[in-house]
Amino acid sequence: MEVTAKTPDGKEIFKDERHYHTQATTCLDSKMVYGAQNKASYVRDTALQPYASKDETFQIKLPEGVTTVDVTVDLNYELQVPENKVPIHKVTKRVTLER
Amino acid sequence: MRAVVVILAVLLIALPLAVNAEKAKSIDELAKMYDSSRCKACHAEIYAQWEKSHHARPLMGVAGGLMLVPVVKGSPFAPKDPKQATMKNFPCFKCHLPQALTSAEDSFAVELTEALLAGDKGKVGKLQITCLVCHNEKAIIHRMQLGKPEKDVIYSTKDIPSHPDKVFTKVKKSTVMDQSIFCGQCHGTGPNFEFENPVQCATLYGSYQHNYLSHGGFQSCQECHMPKVKGKADHLIAPNWDDKAHSSELLKKAVTLDVQTLGYSWLRKAKDLHPMVVVNTKISHTGGHRIPDG
Repeated sequence: MEVTAKTPDGKEIFKDERHYHTQATTCLDSKMVYGAQNKASYVRDTALQPYASKDETFQIKLPEGVTTVDVTVDLNYELQVPENKVPIHKVTKRVTLER
Repeated sequence: MRAVVVILAVLLIALPLAVNAEKAKSIDELAKMYDSSRCKACHAEIYAQWEKSHHARPLMGVAGGLMLVPVVKGSPFAPKDPKQATMKNFPCFKCHLPQALTSAEDSFAVELTEALLAGDKGKVGKLQITCLVCHNEKAIIHRMQLGKPEKDVIYSTKDIPSHPDKVFTKVKKSTVMDQSIFCGQCHGTGPNFEFENPVQCATLYGSYQHNYLSHGGFQSCQECHMPKVKGKADHLIAPNWDDKAHSSELLKKAVTLDVQTLGYSWLRKAKDLHPMVVVNTKISHTGGHRIPDG
């Protein structure tokens, strides 16, 4: 999941990511590996679990003079490599401090 | 007495040969042994669904790749010399080609290693989890009680008195075929320790057992992944990751994303306002297992 915030003229002021998946090592060292032939055991599991939600909070401090941003949350399923994405949801919201 | 000894000696020599004679020495022999193409004549719709499924290309991965190349090129299981490859170099067969474990010998492993290193997708693509793998080879789990699958039987979710095929002349009920445990044979539970190096592959069934059932879930793998199409189980067994549009639609249905935003000025201390935007996201899903898994 990628979260970005851009000013109305398109300047990116914030970007952050969350990765939801099992993470494994060979258990011979502490480096994460991919590929069942290399993985010996999971060491961390951030995947989406049944009957549980993943709740995140992103706090974006706005630069001076910026009072309105377009926030985009892009949720994708990545196949093997980050570039190979299957889109799930993309939500864009304009958020302003102006009243 | 001497005649009996001679007969026994002949039997002892001949028996292993007879068993070996049943095993495939090459890719073509194994593919032929489990060829299910004649099922198409009567089960065209199901066959067409299966042809698009990952079960029809279990060694290819996604997007036409060759998922076993890294295994033979640079993993703990890689043979030092392709000519010396054995079945032990392929722990992946346990699920990606289970028929190889029972029906192929080491020369098959040599040919596969060479085909993988040569990038021969045509040859590797002949190896499939065919109808016979699920509907015969893997159809009986309680083998101590029920025996091994019979050679002339197709196993299904119900008994059918006759089956118009030259080899598989009967259809018998496999009690487990519509239960999650059937899929769990391959879509596993955790690290596989039976190999000389541990292998951590698919853990869907473990996730299903420990994280779905434990929260009150009752649906089976088949209910979600093999829904009825015109009264028959869909053998696409979605998702088909090569069909991104369809996979995207499935994921959209199963996974929800809620986004809440707030814009305000946070007061750190007197007269020290910080303009801020807060984004809260909540992802949940209706799947019976962790996402992603395999």
